[in-house]
Amino acid sequence: MGLLLPWSGSALQARPDFVLLVIIFWLIRAPHLCNVGTAWFVGLFVDLATGGVFGQYALAYTVTAYFAVNYQRRLVLFNNMQQAFYVFLLLMISQLTLLLLKLFGGAEIFGWQYFIPSFTGILLWQIAVLFGLKTGGRTRGV
Amino acid sequence: MMHGFNHKFEQQQAPAFFARGPSPFARLVFFSALSLALMATDSRLQYLIVLRQNLVAILHPLQLVANLPSQVYRDINTYFSTHHYLLAENKRLQLKTLEQSILLQGLNTLTLENENLRELLKANKSLTQNSILGEIMYVGRDPFTRKVIVNRGENHQVQIGEAVVDATGVIGQVTRIYPLSSEVTLITDKSLAIPIQIERNGLRAIAFGHGRDNTLDLPYLPTNVDIKQGDKLVTSGIDGIYPAGLAVATVSHIEITPDSPFARIICVPTGGVEHHRQVLLVSIPKPEILPKEVLSDLTSKKTSALPAAPEKVISDPAAPNKVNQPHAQ
Repeated sequence: MGLLLPWSGSALQARPDFVLLVIIFWLIRAPHLCNVGTAWFVGLFVDLATGGVFGQYALAYTVTAYFAVNYQRRLVLFNNMQQAFYVFLLLMISQLTLLLLKLFGGAEIFGWQYFIPSFTGILLWQIAVLFGLKTGGRTRGV
Repeated sequence: MMHGFNHKFEQQQAPAFFARGPSPFARLVFFSALSLALMATDSRLQYLIVLRQNLVAILHPLQLVANLPSQVYRDINTYFSTHHYLLAENKRLQLKTLEQSILLQGLNTLTLENENLRELLKANKSLTQNSILGEIMYVGRDPFTRKVIVNRGENHQVQIGEAVVDATGVIGQVTRIYPLSSEVTLITDKSLAIPIQIERNGLRAIAFGHGRDNTLDLPYLPTNVDIKQGDKLVTSGIDGIYPAGLAVATVSHIEITPDSPFARIICVPTGGVEHHRQVLLVSIPKPEILPKEVLSDLTSKKTSALPAAPEKVISDPAAPNKVNQPHAQ
């Protein structure tokens, strides 16, 4: 739903990828419910909402979900900081895939600001963890 | 029975606890292929347009709900605007009305005079434009493109290719229509070109969106071109999309480098591309309005003076290059 909020101006540039964060959370938490296919389907929905070419976000989310699922069993054993770092990498993977696809489509690179959403995303992740969202990291440690 | 059961167990390579259907890698390959196929279909073929329209129509109520908080905030803001502010605004608006009514009187006489002259020349009546008032719902979410979504769509007789203007100038063009909303590509988008004319000397050129920041480029103009900082660019109206004479941009920066045959000209759009909410969707005047005898006259002479199909300008990026050599009128 955060995706549909009317963002504008500089806030638009810093907006974290809410949808992807939610998917990553569920991929880590409940891989039997949420898998690569789910990520693909949600990506399609994002494509629709952004009005871009069908399949771009879908592919980016699929690749990200693959990496998340592949290391899911290790991921739940990580502590919070390690987990946050890994989630950050996942966000970057999604953004890089998307950038690559857009460049093939003839878009221009517009500088490092493009990667701000990854940083705000991981910030949001940390805030969510602080407020008691259980991502597996702490519960295993105790 | 028991034997068959055991046999089944031996066939499994991993314990049942870990078996979760196809491996992640297989899924990755499958879904990647699927999305690549979708991308190719969507960008090269036109099959998915109807599907997209319907799906966006389903998303529309969700969008309205998401817009609600900011809408409520704006409503509260206007409700609590002070008495003093309203009085000041009222006074300002009255002054503006007065100014404009004086201008309008002049315009009325001019219109009459123009009509008389046209009748004398037996020219066809100037084409009337229909327009629809719309409001910007939200800014497009794709950071690579410059788009806004307007709350008027197919159900309100919006058509693809309509020009979108606000009180100060051209904003963009309708590039996609959905049942209840439509997508407007701003003139600052990289893929949008707009035929313009310099107000001062009538020089024609084509302005392209810069894409990265809120500016327009005027490429393919030679270094000795007669253009100055502060020159106003207006629509030339030769494309059949934008009505002639609408303000587009102001020249802000001219850079002439000795190693390039072209001048680098940067313009700032006049229209409130980033800050207005209300916009006007101006529909394309239909070429059929031309009287039949004029049309037959044109075809017999085999001239190619008919305005090009409006879609051509949007979909064919090579088209502007054919007319990129500007010439003074």
